[in-house]
Amino acid sequence: MSELFPRKQIVGFVFSLILTAAALAVYFLDLSFAAGMTVLLITAFVQALLQLVVFMHAGETEDKWSIYGNVYFMMAIALVTIFGSLLIFLWDM
Amino acid sequence: MHVDHTQPLEYSSGQGRLNIYGFWVFLGAEIMLFATLFTVFFVLENRTGSGPNGAEIFEIAPVLAETFILLTSSFVIGLGIHAMRIGNKKAMMTFFAITLVLGLAFLGLEIDEFVTYIHEGATLQTSAFTAALMTTLGTHGAHVTFGLFWGISIIMQVKKRGLTPETANKSFIFSLYWHFLDVVWIFIFSFIYLKGMM
Repeated sequence: MSELFPRKQIVGFVFSLILTAAALAVYFLDLSFAAGMTVLLITAFVQALLQLVVFMHAGETEDKWSIYGNVYFMMAIALVTIFGSLLIFLWDM
Repeated sequence: MHVDHTQPLEYSSGQGRLNIYGFWVFLGAEIMLFATLFTVFFVLENRTGSGPNGAEIFEIAPVLAETFILLTSSFVIGLGIHAMRIGNKKAMMTFFAITLVLGLAFLGLEIDEFVTYIHEGATLQTSAFTAALMTTLGTHGAHVTFGLFWGISIIMQVKKRGLTPETANKSFIFSLYWHFLDVVWIFIFSFIYLKGMM
């Protein structure tokens, strides 16, 4: 039975629950906007990386660099799209 | 077909490896799809018109339940892939079935959430904020719905054909899709709900 529950995945799951609980700090504590956003950015991106590495096995074959390259490139384009639009529409630059 | 026995079953054929890499490329496009939705949401977040804003309609309890359910389902399908790799077909199918039941529970909560919003006067047409919110949540929910049908087909195929390089490859690709939906939800949870209630 225990061979069905590998340690790595259980640790990954516990860690993802801890990150979710940490993100909840912004709801229960009275943080400033900047502090709250910092907490959320860190917990969300660490959590995404955790899923990618532990659960999606992104790095286990020879294709690893093509896979990571593809994902990071798309994340970069995604962030440019989001923050570029915010710059134009909300931050008046 | 050349089968490489040093690799996990899902990677054992050249076609299988290409399928997995191709699916990663597709997920890259999905990242962009959700990025455009997040862009629209962040730009229109404060355009609430005469409708409610996020802090007024978001409720922490159902959102937390949805997050916990989806995180757990992502963990369980990971166990399913592990069971598949050690050749335990029965355990793999059980874990996949639990994943889909959790997916269904998530979807039930999300539909209930939408009904609540509509009763509170926040419909797709109320304001730019509600339109962007419901389009983003709805696109994620539609992906989960599609995943339920896909997952059922995978379970049926594994049951019928057993664990072959093809069915293992399809199951692994489905697990990538399911984990990806969990990642998208983390961003929705953090930057739509928690940021809205901050």
